[in-house]
Amino acid sequence: MNSYKVLLVEDELNICNFIKMVFETNGYRFTAAQTGKGGLDKFQTEKPDLVVLDLGLPDMDGVDIIKEIRKNSDVPIIVLSARTDEADKVEALDLGVNDYVTKPFGTGELLARVRAAIRNSRFQNAGSSRSNLQLADMTIDFDARKVTIAGNVIRLTQTEYHIVELLAVNTGKVLTYAEIINKIWGYSDSGSVKKLQVNMANIRKKFGEKPGEYRYILNELGVGYRMSDEGESIV
Amino acid sequence: MKKYHNLFWNIIKSIGILAGFFVLCLAIERYFEASTLVPAIMTLAVFLVSLVTDGFLYGILASLLSVLELNFAFAFPYFAFNFSIPENIISAIIMLVITIMTCTLTTQLKNQENIRVESAKEKMRGNLLRAVSHDLRTPLTTICGSSSTIVEHYDQLTKAQVIQLANGIRDDAEWLVRMVENILSITRIDSDGVQITKTSTVLEELIDSVLMKFWKRYPDQKIEVDIPDEFISIPMDAVLIEQVIINILENAMQHAAGMTKLELSVFREGQKAVFEIRDNGCGIEKDRLQNIFKDYFEMKDAPVDHQKKSMGIGLAVCASIIRAHNGTITASNRKEGGCCFRFTLDLERNEDEQL
Repeated sequence: MNSYKVLLVEDELNICNFIKMVFETNGYRFTAAQTGKGGLDKFQTEKPDLVVLDLGLPDMDGVDIIKEIRKNSDVPIIVLSARTDEADKVEALDLGVNDYVTKPFGTGELLARVRAAIRNSRFQNAGSSRSNLQLADMTIDFDARKVTIAGNVIRLTQTEYHIVELLAVNTGKVLTYAEIINKIWGYSDSGSVKKLQVNMANIRKKFGEKPGEYRYILNELGVGYRMSDEGESIV
Repeated sequence: MKKYHNLFWNIIKSIGILAGFFVLCLAIERYFEASTLVPAIMTLAVFLVSLVTDGFLYGILASLLSVLELNFAFAFPYFAFNFSIPENIISAIIMLVITIMTCTLTTQLKNQENIRVESAKEKMRGNLLRAVSHDLRTPLTTICGSSSTIVEHYDQLTKAQVIQLANGIRDDAEWLVRMVENILSITRIDSDGVQITKTSTVLEELIDSVLMKFWKRYPDQKIEVDIPDEFISIPMDAVLIEQVIINILENAMQHAAGMTKLELSVFREGQKAVFEIRDNGCGIEKDRLQNIFKDYFEMKDAPVDHQKKSMGIGLAVCASIIRAHNGTITASNRKEGGCCFRFTLDLERNEDEQL
């Protein structure tokens, strides 16, 4: 049981109904709106801990809702999107959305994303005071800039470490290629994505990970990367 | 570039034909003094022009030119324009009408060929729609039936029965999801003028994504993966190529009876990346093998009912996607049993200048 309050903005009543059921049976408090305007109103009055937002609303562009919410709140937002709108996904993520779930989705997947987003925001709030992150058998020591897996120190180049650190600080959140490139190199050109991908390939090699079995840094094809938060423990 | 090339050739052909026939007319006039032949010969010239050039323009220009030629060289007064003699004007008008009509007819002939190609495409689309709608009916029946059973009889059903019905709904809904993904892929390629957008995709990440999706559905099926150690980046529409690999893997899961080993390997061959998916199941019958990638579109009027509820559309989608990438796709039986699907994609040209 938890007491997090979730706001769902979705115009399809049937989808609303089953999502409501899922959240309530899992101990969340739940409120919903069928329009963008209604959603923003409820966001002000109900002060939810998390927003689940459908990008295809009849009255407002989902992107505008995200901008409006992000003006004065960093509440976690999860976006529901259709497969074909890959560009929309990336745009939403770049606007500060935490995660996206592609329609149609299973309820298990939605709940996992919600849990991850909430953990991520708690982690962000604990923020700079943390000096250490433990993910399964990987430890990242932020002060010593050291990554160890199962007790073995992983030798990373400076750039590689910065990428790992950036993803770790945002554990559970999908970071787009553009976002990572901007934070690591401060500029981007036509070769930037390739540069990032090559670095990532080297990191994986050093982590000893094989395709289909990535455990620490998950790959969101065509979108970006995310540090897995399964098995995270707060130190 | 090609446009100018066409324009150039059309003009050359028109001028060549008109000049040739003009000379012929002059010769006939000179040696046989048979000026009555001239209009017929010029009509033939215009007819030929409209036959060998594209569109109306050249034919009409040629007809106007030949009317002037006729007036200038072969009607009294010779080698001077004279539009005041009614006889000349009438013969000019008749000439013009004849040539325009000839031109219209030959253009229509050419259009008809285009229409035939278009209607073949239309027929394929029709077949696809018919087959898809039929395939959709089966899972929809399960979903409608099971859900209304739950709604109407919820208090007479045991918990186990409700779960069984709900599971049926979920399975068939998931099947529908995959079907819709495939149809979406086809429309993404087939809609005229829409080009697929290729982005550099890291091979390793593509394979990772494929495996994650595949294992979500078949958590117990092992796949032996063999990809090069080096960093390989391939320009592609990753969502579509992902679908190709998943469709082929799922095809093996559903049709390769007796399969114990499923392999996925990728290797370089010159400037191409070769993807191979091999199984050691029952293989594919010879007569099916030939049309395996187009069956779904070309089923004529055979009843669709005998078809198993299958991925049917899956392999046809694979072929369309690979074709849109300018790659090749083949299926063959292996000597040691089972079958091998193989497709190729072009690698990035300047692979080495990176970093």
